[in-house]
Amino acid sequence: MANGKIVSIHSFRGGTGKSNTTANLAAQAALAGKRVGIVDTDIQSPGIHVLFGLDETKMGKTLNDFLHGKCTIREVALNIGEKASDSEGRAKLAGKDIWLLPSSIRGREISQIIREGYDVNRLNEGFQTILKELNLDYLFIDTHPGLNEETLLSIAISDILIIILRPDNQDFQGTAVTVDIARSLDIPNLILMVNKALPKYDPADIKKTIEATFNAPVAGVLPLSFDLADNASKDLFSLRFPDHEWSKALCGVADAILAVK
Amino acid sequence: MTEDITTQLKNTFLFKGLPDDALTAVAQKARIRQLAEGDVLMRRGDSGDSLFMINDGWFKIVTENAQGEELIINKAGPGETIGEMALLDEAPRSATVVALSDAKVLELRKDAFYEILDQRPDVALSLIRGFSSRLRFSTTYIQKAIDWSQKIAAGDYGFIESTQQFPKAAASDDDKATQLLSAFFQMVRSVKAREDELKHQLEKLTLEIDEARRKQEFEDLTSTDFYANLKEQAKRLRAQRAASQGEE
Repeated sequence: MANGKIVSIHSFRGGTGKSNTTANLAAQAALAGKRVGIVDTDIQSPGIHVLFGLDETKMGKTLNDFLHGKCTIREVALNIGEKASDSEGRAKLAGKDIWLLPSSIRGREISQIIREGYDVNRLNEGFQTILKELNLDYLFIDTHPGLNEETLLSIAISDILIIILRPDNQDFQGTAVTVDIARSLDIPNLILMVNKALPKYDPADIKKTIEATFNAPVAGVLPLSFDLADNASKDLFSLRFPDHEWSKALCGVADAILAVK
Repeated sequence: MTEDITTQLKNTFLFKGLPDDALTAVAQKARIRQLAEGDVLMRRGDSGDSLFMINDGWFKIVTENAQGEELIINKAGPGETIGEMALLDEAPRSATVVALSDAKVLELRKDAFYEILDQRPDVALSLIRGFSSRLRFSTTYIQKAIDWSQKIAAGDYGFIESTQQFPKAAASDDDKATQLLSAFFQMVRSVKAREDELKHQLEKLTLEIDEARRKQEFEDLTSTDFYANLKEQAKRLRAQRAASQGEE
């Protein structure tokens, strides 16, 4: 029986580095020997596949096919550990138990699903099935920003919800609503993560302020990094540059996830 | 072996348009070179007369700054190609390339390459086609850079967020247009960051939540039937999973 955990990664607004964070957190969990799945539910603007070196030619079945009843969820899961040798960072995932469930990047299929919608219950069934069939320890869900129905579903069924925010007022406002929703849905573990913190602010101070405001733990304050911006989509940054400040802070968040009983 | 080389050739800008039999002819002329960590593959200023395809291992591509200190421009690894333009333009090497680990590369020398051109006019034609399409591609990118420059001048940085990340900038001479755009975007981000920081210095970090709006948004989201069902469903699912874990 599956007792893996669902970890949803959410941010109220776009541009917080959500996909990049999700990919790196999942990769760190796999590196720690866990069985890990990653679902890209950001079907309107999928992006996480790039971090795993995939493009249209390397993708087989997608989440869209599953949601349209054209294949099983197991057929969507792509074993990253088997084909992860094309870059220095990803090569570290070789032989690890890590699967990606990508969304389609074909414009026609994206517009179709936005136009027609889909049954969120089927998405939920997919999550539960893949947890069982791959005997996963963790299923990471990269959500669409905002709080639409599929995102609410991903949040609702999470064992761990990671909310990423930048230290600015708009993110603060949106995060406040998301935190209220998470509490209303009785999410067992709520973890905040600050990304793109400007160097002029003291990370400890940011952590304190935000923890006090939302009454939830901040597992990491990750700095704004041009190195990351420049490299991110080419490779898994925290695997390729493990000694970088950003990577170290990210590993702190990964540890917080792995520490949840 | 020839098959591997053919696959790698297909990834180079120079050869990607060639038919398979022509690629095989090219591949047969390539020879293997083994390098140890620290070995120099080419030196800046050397006359360039071969292209290298990295089979195994990593290289750093370095140049010197004004003080004569080593400056790493890029790294290149398996599957990447170095110096392909040298086959045609004979320009001196623009950077030094040093092995970061034990490495294996395939070398295609200019004379071997010219032999093929002599025997196969169709190969020459394919190459010209490749250059022509690259030129078109570069022109498009230059036009974009012009548009963006005008936006920056007007203080509009919105396009950074809305523009997709660029594909990997290749270590070789191949993808100068992509490298230019990558450098361009880095510049814009730096300029914007400096501008933002200046703004921040003038204002203290005050993070405020509009509590009335927060309450309103929460009510809007939670007052639907969908939400009520979802809440029930999540509760049921959690109970089910807790029960099944208890059984183990």
